[in-house]
Amino acid sequence: MSTLDYRKVSRASRWLDVRRRKLGMWAYALNRITGIGLVVYLYLHLVVLSLLLRGQAAWDFFVTVARSPYVLALDVILLAGILIHGLNGLRIAMTGFGIGVGAQKALFVAVMVVSAVTLWVATIKIFRI
Amino acid sequence: MKNPFAEEPKPTSAWLWQVITGVGLVILLGLHFIANHFVAKGGLRDFKEVVAYLRNPVILFLEVLFLLCVTTHALLGVRAILLDFGLSEPAERRMDQILKTVGFLTVGYGLAVTWVVIR
Repeated sequence: MSTLDYRKVSRASRWLDVRRRKLGMWAYALNRITGIGLVVYLYLHLVVLSLLLRGQAAWDFFVTVARSPYVLALDVILLAGILIHGLNGLRIAMTGFGIGVGAQKALFVAVMVVSAVTLWVATIKIFRI
Repeated sequence: MKNPFAEEPKPTSAWLWQVITGVGLVILLGLHFIANHFVAKGGLRDFKEVVAYLRNPVILFLEVLFLLCVTTHALLGVRAILLDFGLSEPAERRMDQILKTVGFLTVGYGLAVTWVVIR
């Protein structure tokens, strides 16, 4: 017995089809791509937290490494993903409940602007800590 | 021929839980970020500070709630993506069982690490 429904597969393959793609489809794809990245990060974070089990020396060494500019740059990428996924997710939830359906595109643009401004401010703060 | 894309998607309990945990995450992740990265001196707590932080019962409750929300939200998101790839009903049931197991293991592991740190 086949485990795949090819009608649904064609729906998934549309993720990769950039032809005549509208803003809503970009927003949808962006939410899924950032979501996948954040799931990967969640498990990486759990692995890093395991260093706590190895005691003070292991954790404090990690803290020193985590304060390097290269790791802070990765933190900025992480924060970008969180902001885009979080705020865009709120927009999707709102429209799912029928709120602001007519203003979806404007809301998405607003989400991206708020994300960019917050990321800019947070990046300055991250590198000044 | 009936166009399957023309059908309005129906809200499901999984979608509703994803929204509830997502809204929870916006609040809890905000608190987590502020407490652990913006308030903490140098952007991260050292070992002794982490232990003292997690021994605070209010913080412990919020961090456990955060772990539950983030795991549920993440795995429901993975489920939604996998469903787009057109699984049959038996495969969908197997996927649900696997994701539930992964979820329990993830939360269990997070709780175990926390317990070892604070005891």
